[in-house]
Amino acid sequence: MVKQRTPDLRPVSAPDEIETPVLSLSKLAWRRFRRHKMAVGGMVTLVFLVLYCIGGAFIFTEEYANYNDLSIKLQPPSSEHPFGTDTIGRDILARTVYGGQISLLIGLTAMIVEIMVGVVIGALTGYFGGWLDSLLMRLTEAVLIVPQIFLLLVMAKFFGGAVPNINILGREFSGSVIVIILIIGLTAWPYTARIVRAQFLSIKENEFILAARATGTGTWGIIFRHILPNSIAPIVVAATLGIANAITLEAYISFLGLGVRPPTATWGNMLEGAYNYIDQGIYWLWLFPGLLILLIVLSINFVGDGLRDALDPRSRAV
Amino acid sequence: MKRNLIYTVVAILVSAVLLLSACVPSGGGENKVVTFIFTQEPETLNLHYTNMYFSAILQQLWNHWAWEYDENNNPYPVLITEMPSMENGGISADGTVLTLNLRDDIFWSDGEPITSDDFVFTWEMAIAPTNTVASAYPYSEAASVEALDAQTVVVTFAEPFAPWLYFFHGLLPKHVLQPVFDAEGTLDNAEWNNAPTVGSGPFNFAEWESGSFLRFVRNENYWGEPALVDEIFVRIVPDDAAQIAALTSGDGDIGIFIAYPDIPTLEDGGLSVIKVFSGYNEGWYLNLGANAHPAMLDVLVRQALAYGTDRFVITRDLLLDKTVPAATFWDGSPWADPDLAPYPFDQAMANDLLDQSGWIDSNGDGTRDKDGVELILRYVTNNRDVRLDTQAVIQQQLAQVGVGIELINYDSDILFGSYGDGGPVAIGDYDIAEWSDLPGGFPDPDTAYWLCSEIPSDESPQGSNWQYICDQELNDLFALQKTQMVFEERVATFHEISRIMYEQVYWLGIWQDPDIWAVSSRVSGVQLSGVTPFSNIAEWDIP
Amino acid sequence: MTRYILRRFLQAIPLLFLISLLLFVMMQNMGDPLATMGGRTMTRSEDRARLTRQLGLDKPVIVQYLYWLIGNDWTKIDLDGDGVAETPGIRKGVLRGDFGYSLVNREPAMEVIMERLPNTLLLMLTAEVVILFGSLLIGIYAALRQYSLMDNVVTALSFIGYSMPIFFVALGLMYIFAVNFKAWGLPYLPTVGMFDPQAGKSVWQVAWHMVLPVITIAITSFAANSRYVRSTMLEALGQDYIRTAKSKGLPRRSIVFIHALKNASLPIITVVGLDLPFLLGGAVVTERIFAWPGMGRLFIDHVSRADTPVVMGIMMLIAFAVITFQIITDVLYAWLDPRIRYQ
Repeated sequence: MVKQRTPDLRPVSAPDEIETPVLSLSKLAWRRFRRHKMAVGGMVTLVFLVLYCIGGAFIFTEEYANYNDLSIKLQPPSSEHPFGTDTIGRDILARTVYGGQISLLIGLTAMIVEIMVGVVIGALTGYFGGWLDSLLMRLTEAVLIVPQIFLLLVMAKFFGGAVPNINILGREFSGSVIVIILIIGLTAWPYTARIVRAQFLSIKENEFILAARATGTGTWGIIFRHILPNSIAPIVVAATLGIANAITLEAYISFLGLGVRPPTATWGNMLEGAYNYIDQGIYWLWLFPGLLILLIVLSINFVGDGLRDALDPRSRAV
Repeated sequence: MKRNLIYTVVAILVSAVLLLSACVPSGGGENKVVTFIFTQEPETLNLHYTNMYFSAILQQLWNHWAWEYDENNNPYPVLITEMPSMENGGISADGTVLTLNLRDDIFWSDGEPITSDDFVFTWEMAIAPTNTVASAYPYSEAASVEALDAQTVVVTFAEPFAPWLYFFHGLLPKHVLQPVFDAEGTLDNAEWNNAPTVGSGPFNFAEWESGSFLRFVRNENYWGEPALVDEIFVRIVPDDAAQIAALTSGDGDIGIFIAYPDIPTLEDGGLSVIKVFSGYNEGWYLNLGANAHPAMLDVLVRQALAYGTDRFVITRDLLLDKTVPAATFWDGSPWADPDLAPYPFDQAMANDLLDQSGWIDSNGDGTRDKDGVELILRYVTNNRDVRLDTQAVIQQQLAQVGVGIELINYDSDILFGSYGDGGPVAIGDYDIAEWSDLPGGFPDPDTAYWLCSEIPSDESPQGSNWQYICDQELNDLFALQKTQMVFEERVATFHEISRIMYEQVYWLGIWQDPDIWAVSSRVSGVQLSGVTPFSNIAEWDIP
Repeated sequence: MTRYILRRFLQAIPLLFLISLLLFVMMQNMGDPLATMGGRTMTRSEDRARLTRQLGLDKPVIVQYLYWLIGNDWTKIDLDGDGVAETPGIRKGVLRGDFGYSLVNREPAMEVIMERLPNTLLLMLTAEVVILFGSLLIGIYAALRQYSLMDNVVTALSFIGYSMPIFFVALGLMYIFAVNFKAWGLPYLPTVGMFDPQAGKSVWQVAWHMVLPVITIAITSFAANSRYVRSTMLEALGQDYIRTAKSKGLPRRSIVFIHALKNASLPIITVVGLDLPFLLGGAVVTERIFAWPGMGRLFIDHVSRADTPVVMGIMMLIAFAVITFQIITDVLYAWLDPRIRYQ
């Protein structure tokens, strides 16, 4: 089941009201963020995980991560292979490093697609209203009405294999990476669009917008210079949570066999097929990539929650 | 309170659903029940409407074929008195007329006799344009099927048709289905397809719960020796790990398509693991068409691929030494030339051949090239775990002889898409494609994959020669064998065919792909055939 | 009220059209339903050509959509391949309740779906009840002890639950309670299926097999719901009438469970109401792992066979249910809260 809502942690970090000293917005946000212990913990974990994925690449080469040796397949964790080896004797530790890079890449870029589409549609509908609003909002509703995992599976098949392998920075990626990024981005945007639309609807009635319009600022100027910067807080929160969501979704579709194709490893597709070995006690195939997914999603969710508190202009906590 | 009301409604709903789903009576204790574990659910029980293996193998439980097959895949008569041959006149001298003599003591489970009318009806239904049957072959090849009398069926062909053995799998009861066809104009939606009330086998279909199970009970009105067990329970477990768990815990007696890594687990659990040859060989289909890499056209390169891949390490370590590399498309059947052995693993030979062919690493990047084209081949297959693993292993092996490999995977329904649908293999968008296949009418060896006329094009978008190989000599031999009614002559032709395909490396065997069955020691008398696995199901027992 | 409901349904019609058209077009490119037809080898070329024609798969997408929508009994189709349409069509189309025939087994698509619907409902409604009671319990407890150690622990745990990919929970639970418990000789839970074939299908068997999948679904959903209960309860507890009740000396129990919960239940009902239709889809991943014969598994199986009629049927059923439940929730809301009036 794909989650529909994020739990709201707000009250936990809402201590008694204190008079706010005069501080710049970003400093204020940072101070609020720091007070959210779990968000800070999430941030630290996140940095650590990113270091793991990037730093690990200096310890293991990609050839090593893809090097197979059938004579050492399915070995349990040992000093030589701390996370054990997989079905054809590849080192799981090295594969989690390179798989993590792809998972992160998918999370980030899918989020960018999602936010871009969401902001454009949200802004258009919120600002212009009228028939454009009704048309685009029907589309938004249409996407929302079908559960995302169903849409993802159908779209994964739709684009499946249509994209050739690509070469970025000398590394060969399966074209399915692009497919996954696109389909996650293209099914996740309605939430963002709704948030942005609501923001636009409320902000565009403000007096400073009327003033800007009266002084002859153009439509796009108003949208980009006045309204958008003022709705940045919820967008940032949505973006953060969007990364976590995208990483989870990639894992889901890869687990169901429609995700990123080998040889490109992701944390999600390392899990595919792992459950066939569950009753032989071969836990290391699914435990390590699974734990990494859990850790990264958890820490991003904490950070997102901290950001929500910190950036909420109504929150008076310091 | 309104809130309570809502909870009450939910609670009632839940208990209603619980009750509804519990209405199936539980099995009795005294019955002898053999439980099959199937990893896929049969689609339909009418064999004409599916190509699915799990639908096909259930046939012998409830509906006999005209002839069935023993453990060595040799046919023996079931509904007929003897196998037709030239000697007994069942096959005419010119090979165009096939005469079947039915037994006179056979009847359907409702007591109606099985007569030649049922055979004619089966043929009519298979070729009726309003029936969307999965395969009209081989019925479409017959010019006519006639009933001479109640016990004599005559099949006439326009020209000699050697693969006639493929006929009369899945006989349809005319007295049940003719009225349906007359009323609806088609058999597509006949209830009989999924709940066959009438059959001719030792068991009767009892019930089928979608996604869960099928149940067959002993046919008390069977024309042959009655079955020894009371019930066959087919449990659907869509997951390999769960299948193994069910078999080892004793929840299931028979399982098929056991993955090689699971064999030791099952043997430790006291099950016997039986390899049954059913015509399948895992192999490489090599593309020689216009969209292929130019190196593929060079037989030296194709031979180098054969020498450069260690298929022995794959069968030994990945498949746990339970099978061996295949040499020909017909391995494991009398049609394969026993003198042909799989290409050995010889990297020096592979390097030599590649050097001779002019593909050398001139720019020092580790991959051979020629005229500015790098030797990087596209290696396509589906998403089965064992194939993904094989791909990775072979990629590494070929890199050692300077051949780059790009791995590409598709789901089966995309991989096997036709030329008209833009299927990647059908349009020739690959260099090497791997899957497991068998001659279409196994145990008949005939196949259309390498016929020149089957090369797909805009005019014939359904063509099945996805290798785009048109070798005139090979093509003529394929045409010749189809008309050879004398076994020895046909075998000789096939040895010639397999030799050409071996030398030219038109198809490269990866491993012999027998069906792996696991059978509980609880059940006795099990003899599994590759074509009709349950042909002796009536003799199975739980002592 | 009736007019309001009617208007909402009328507004939903174009939406359903839009969804069905988008999905239908997308599904045409999903793969070739005739590629292998479930066999282990590919379909023969002559059979492929014949079936493409017979099943109408050679028609342009828009014609296929039209046939799907309004049927083809008003026209003639070519079945024998002579290029002349001679046989009258028999399909009635979705608008007349005919969802077409499954390309996998030629059974009516709705029948295929309806065979699995009760199983999914059973699993998901049970899970929903567990989730509801569990999150009420956790949420109320956390609300009453705001900022206590337990509150923070519960918060942290629910966040972990929320972040956990469902297959990870499923595999972990299966590994511990089914595989290892069995190895240690403890009473263990079954791994897969709906019942043990030897024992037969009894209420007890089904309930026993439901334990792991229900827990799996519940763990990942407790988080969001219990946080929601907590915040609405906190809000309700801060209201004036609670203070009045307290000052009147009413017992704490009745304040919490009668006054506060009654008012907090309104938004909770909304959330549950909006969640229910999504349950129809079942837990795709959960059903896959625990081999539960429900709609989610049906969906995956038929997507992989590019079986448009069944896949479309499932999607449209869910879309329709989502819209219906949105309306029901709105109406229920108005009924429960007399301050809200719909025009």
